[in-house]
Amino acid sequence: MSQAAVVQLFKALGDPVRLQIVQRLSNGVPLCMGELSKDLGISRQGARKQIQALVTANVVQLHPVGREVKVQLDATALTQGRDFIAALEAQWDQRLQALKQFTEQ
Amino acid sequence: MQNIIQRELMINATAERIYNAIALAEQVVKWFPDTVSGDYRQGAQALFSFGEKHRSSVYIEAANPYHYFAYRWVPGGTNFTGDVRTVPNTLVEFHITELEPGRSKVSLTETGFAGLPADIAASSLQQNSNGWDFMLGRLQQYFSAEAK
Repeated sequence: MSQAAVVQLFKALGDPVRLQIVQRLSNGVPLCMGELSKDLGISRQGARKQIQALVTANVVQLHPVGREVKVQLDATALTQGRDFIAALEAQWDQRLQALKQFTEQ
Repeated sequence: MQNIIQRELMINATAERIYNAIALAEQVVKWFPDTVSGDYRQGAQALFSFGEKHRSSVYIEAANPYHYFAYRWVPGGTNFTGDVRTVPNTLVEFHITELEPGRSKVSLTETGFAGLPADIAASSLQQNSNGWDFMLGRLQQYFSAEAK
């Protein structure tokens, strides 16, 4: 995953409203735009804008179903983001063990 | 999705010994980068090298003997060798606490993955920490369900 994609992903998830939207989708069940926009404390138009930001960051996908638009979580970017962090964590574990060995000599 | 890396470990050494291992160029190469060039001191930028191919600029944010050392860099093996303060970067912080003589706790954090200044990211993370935890748990379930 490129640095730019990582930054874009974490930026997308770094907003309370967008995080709430992702939470609502986190069991994998698609929700229609109207349902998803309810009780977010912002206008429907504002909600639409936040959902669009999540689309741009590849966090969610839109699927037109009849007259409605369904919003679904796209696990790809999230998985990559998680893997990126997990890889960095593993590196730090190795480095800190090396620090321990060096300083305990 | 977490926006912070946090690690903690106990080391049987003094805070001074550990701090020097992190903050002195001639010692940090014994366990972390292969070489350090440039100016490895507070307010300056140095270059870490890893093996033949990987280079990474580090900007030393703070160096307070013998309990705190922090630098900024671009994580993820991206080979960024310019001024790290001009691009999205993360803040790596080492906190060293000598709990009893010769025994210290070392806490490592890396923050700022959203490309935000670390203090903003940390405060928003705190505000939303329940949200992050909740979501991470739900996503783990989602991912494991996907994998089946």
